[in-house]
Amino acid sequence: MKKHYDIVIVGSGAGGGTVANSLIPLKEKGLKIAILEQGPHFSHSFFTQREIEMMRLFRFNGAWPVKSGEITIAAGQGVGGSTLMYTGVSFRLPESVVEEWDVPGLTMDDLTPRFDQIERDIHVIKPSERMVNDNNRLFKQGCKRLGWPVKKIPLNVKNCERVGFCNLGCSSGSKQGTLEVQLPKAIQSGIDLIANCEVIRLSEKTVHAKVHKAPPGTVDGQWPPGKITIQADIIVLAAGSPGTSGLLLKSGFKQYLPRIGRDITLHPAMTLYGVYPKPIVNYRGFPKTYYTDQFTNSHGYFIETAFYYPFVSTRHMGLWGKNLSEIMSKYNQLMTVLILNHDTIMPENRIILDRKGTVQVNYNLTETVIKSLCHAQIQTARLFFEAGCELVIMPCSSSPVIHQHKQKELEQLIKAKHFIPIKTPVSSAHPQGGCAMGKDPDNSVTNSWGQVHNFPWLFVADASLFPNSAHVNPYLTVMALADRVADRIKKICS
Amino acid sequence: MYNCKYIKGHRLKTIRAAANCIIPEHAGLSSGGTLETAAVVDWAIDQMPKELRVQFLLFISIVNASGIFFGGRPFHRLSYQDQIRQLKWMESSPLAPFRLGFMGLKNYICMGYFTREQNWSDIKYQGPILYDQPSPDDIIRKLCQGKIGIRS
Repeated sequence: MKKHYDIVIVGSGAGGGTVANSLIPLKEKGLKIAILEQGPHFSHSFFTQREIEMMRLFRFNGAWPVKSGEITIAAGQGVGGSTLMYTGVSFRLPESVVEEWDVPGLTMDDLTPRFDQIERDIHVIKPSERMVNDNNRLFKQGCKRLGWPVKKIPLNVKNCERVGFCNLGCSSGSKQGTLEVQLPKAIQSGIDLIANCEVIRLSEKTVHAKVHKAPPGTVDGQWPPGKITIQADIIVLAAGSPGTSGLLLKSGFKQYLPRIGRDITLHPAMTLYGVYPKPIVNYRGFPKTYYTDQFTNSHGYFIETAFYYPFVSTRHMGLWGKNLSEIMSKYNQLMTVLILNHDTIMPENRIILDRKGTVQVNYNLTETVIKSLCHAQIQTARLFFEAGCELVIMPCSSSPVIHQHKQKELEQLIKAKHFIPIKTPVSSAHPQGGCAMGKDPDNSVTNSWGQVHNFPWLFVADASLFPNSAHVNPYLTVMALADRVADRIKKICS
Repeated sequence: MYNCKYIKGHRLKTIRAAANCIIPEHAGLSSGGTLETAAVVDWAIDQMPKELRVQFLLFISIVNASGIFFGGRPFHRLSYQDQIRQLKWMESSPLAPFRLGFMGLKNYICMGYFTREQNWSDIKYQGPILYDQPSPDDIIRKLCQGKIGIRS
């Protein structure tokens, strides 16, 4: 099958959905636009709040390992991309990071009105007291006792029913991801959305793809299964950080643009648990309402509240045997936080293709990151004990379960030497970089408007554009950059 | 009736023995080494990409055969203490493939145990609010609810 469009967008997450939404004026002028999404189109009724059934919202069932196996990446797979299964955290890119990135033309003056508009569109709010559950209340209490600043996390939710299953798809549609906001507007304007459409490679103004049959329980696609060639005057890649770089590598662009796949960061994260003396039922209410940036500047990490379901929690704890049974028997007493490390680009970390042509993330944790993760465990243990927990689980401790009476020995117990790659559970939900913005092809892949150097018909509009870590949860930044990309396309088309 | 495709014979014995070590009967939790746990693992293996499935099944066989170094017999016939000793070695092995394999084995066993409703009351988990929302996959729903017979 052959098709022709004026503009084709690959991916429907924070980047692709926003580009589509921002290009509606071009659609209204008569241009033909399509969004190609590799994953299925899930309707609200698909989201059953059961973790084993919802694994299919994630690539590799939620555990996509980097090449070394040290980190597993959680990335969404479906219409809405990772906004399907994120918690709705909507931080603005800090000014200090904009300055550090030093991308010509990318300034706070440019970004601020975009953040303002997007926050209105996706309904970003500061959570009300009604949304704060016991875990979050105890977090705030612990931070205050330690003298740490506690801040509310900006969230994009509307009429939230506080059922607590945000990471398994929002069945009520309260979470204002691209599935709820940008994509419905784009579709209503006449932009085509093609789900289950796997893009195999690109050539000059052409997308080579394969449409798969819609999996059971998902929305049927409008194109029949089979190979398809789509010609387009403009192609926008928004397939996510490993996905976009991988597609360019598969398509042979590396010979023209040596930085493809380089300059990646992952925000290595650990989910940590403390056992409170009585039930706190973290799995009802909104999971994430507070964070502290006490150690952002000094040690490079945030501590955010969190919540995960039973099976995923066992992955984070790194326990087994009697310790696991003991802790899981108190599942409804668990305090939970997420530590989010602000890693930085390293020459050896990059997106590559293996011998079979499969996309892989080659990433090794540095000594600096491991030390930072250990520092974060010590501070989180202090926080849990201040909040009233009787024991804590710290994977980098000589003995991972630490009782309250040992709280003065935390620095002796938790040490980098106890970090064993793969055994110590580290995850990532924020892959960034691989097609960095910059001045020229020697040090970047695109210009500051996401236009690929020397290929004026090709754009990137996702977290691949980040030249270094965003330090904060990246979705709002991805949307703002995607809006800039759409501006440049509109200028070209007019 | 759910017929296990992959977890049978020595693999079933290995998974059940490993699950008894990973999730022992303790603190009010029942032991993990049941046919019900193994059946959910079997379903999950069926969802894997073929290449990963082959690697994982091979690893289960390696676990069983490696028992010879920890007590002179296959893993499932080792004493409980020797089984623990072998798993601890794999978890912290200097060889990354063993650490990766152990993490995979542990994670699939925990999936097979903690996603089954029968065990939720032991951990005081109330489960989904939309309890009766129809499943996109009837088999796994029935396996997790204990509403289907299992044959291995």
